[in-house]
Amino acid sequence: MTEQNNLEFNSGFSPKIVTIACNWCSYSAADLAGVSRFQYPPNMKIIKVMCSGRVNPNFILKAFQKGADGVLISG
Amino acid sequence: MQLTKQQVNYCMECGVCTGSCPISQELPDFSPRQMIKKTIDQPEGEILHSSDLWACLTCSRCSDRCPVEIDFPEFIRSYRIKAIKAENLPRLSHNGMLQSISAIQAQRSNKGTQQNRTAWAEEVGKFSDKGEYFYFVGCLPYFDVIFQYLNVPSLESAKNILKILNKIGIEPVISNNECCCGHDAYWSGDEALFQKLAEQNIEAIKASGAKKILFNCPEGYNIFKEVYTEYFGKLDFEIIHVADFLLQKLSESDTESFEFNPCSNNSVTYQDPCRLGRRSGIYEEPRKLINLVPKTSLKEMEHNRENAICCGTTAWMECSNCSKVMQVKRLKEAKQAGADTIITACPKCQIHLTCATTTFDTEIKIIDLYSYLAESMNIK
Repeated sequence: MTEQNNLEFNSGFSPKIVTIACNWCSYSAADLAGVSRFQYPPNMKIIKVMCSGRVNPNFILKAFQKGADGVLISG
Repeated sequence: MQLTKQQVNYCMECGVCTGSCPISQELPDFSPRQMIKKTIDQPEGEILHSSDLWACLTCSRCSDRCPVEIDFPEFIRSYRIKAIKAENLPRLSHNGMLQSISAIQAQRSNKGTQQNRTAWAEEVGKFSDKGEYFYFVGCLPYFDVIFQYLNVPSLESAKNILKILNKIGIEPVISNNECCCGHDAYWSGDEALFQKLAEQNIEAIKASGAKKILFNCPEGYNIFKEVYTEYFGKLDFEIIHVADFLLQKLSESDTESFEFNPCSNNSVTYQDPCRLGRRSGIYEEPRKLINLVPKTSLKEMEHNRENAICCGTTAWMECSNCSKVMQVKRLKEAKQAGADTIITACPKCQIHLTCATTTFDTEIKIIDLYSYLAESMNIK
């Protein structure tokens, strides 16, 4: 993986992003990216949920509590 | 009150605790008397794995009446610390959001998370960074966001307190570095989190140079007064409840400068919060404040003052049908007393009772003490 792919900004700060992705759309898309061998930055961690309706506000707070710099909910 | 093992041994099985307990009335299997009895027999026995440990509201109705002064809430708290180690955990309400917010606040110093606790105050009045008075706002800015869906205007009480203080001529310190008082962590048996939060608060207050700390939240007031002093010794600032402070200021100043309009509500009643009433002994000050408003007809519910019933949950956990039954009973009591508005001095009572009004068909309105005052003081 190249440096540019690591979402590194000029300061060298590389944010940890937690992504909560719906099984039926965005997770499938991420899966397809994987199958198609597209690379995506390793500082993004994906959590699969069966529906984005499963997400409650505490998921976001917990992610920040455990050290995430950003949370992406996609579905 | 420090609970000793010997003190539990004093239990004479009179059953006043179980008879007084609002939970026992709804859940017949829940019995403070039996919990003490079983624990004397087996100190590390089934109590550690029991869900009853988390059902207790620590509302202090039992300990207030106990003839041998067993501090049952403290007994419960000491066992909660052990239960967590035994992996017996409570069911958190609101998905555990409130607990996460406290935990994030405790990590503030090493992660550099910035809070925005003063934006609301900039819109309504004057406050400063340093000064004699520190207004401890507590969790209100968080509640205001979390409980939007219930239409509970939590921040209104803080806004109105700031307006009244400004009118008296006080510009209190309101700090972004203040954090959760740790009341819920303390009563949920998480002493490490409590201590961290308490240290941060004491540091923030010291940095402001304030000598008098004003609280409107009964939990913050009580935990500072009862527990902070126990953990950190004598604090070099004075802990004052806003109701007490306002009553003093409003009654000593000439009444012309504070003109009260007659209230728009016909009859009101007052819900005693357990932390302010039984645990801090403040019963009359809020009532006197309510009576400052002309033409107020203050009715008393069947259970009032030291007999008041809790609003149903404590420390954001174990909200159940039992909590709902208690809340609805309280609303019915208010109605029976002939009141159409319940005034409360605790933001949590306000949230819980408002929540009950959404499930129970009633016309009763829930309002906080300071908004009620401000409404008739014409300083909106």
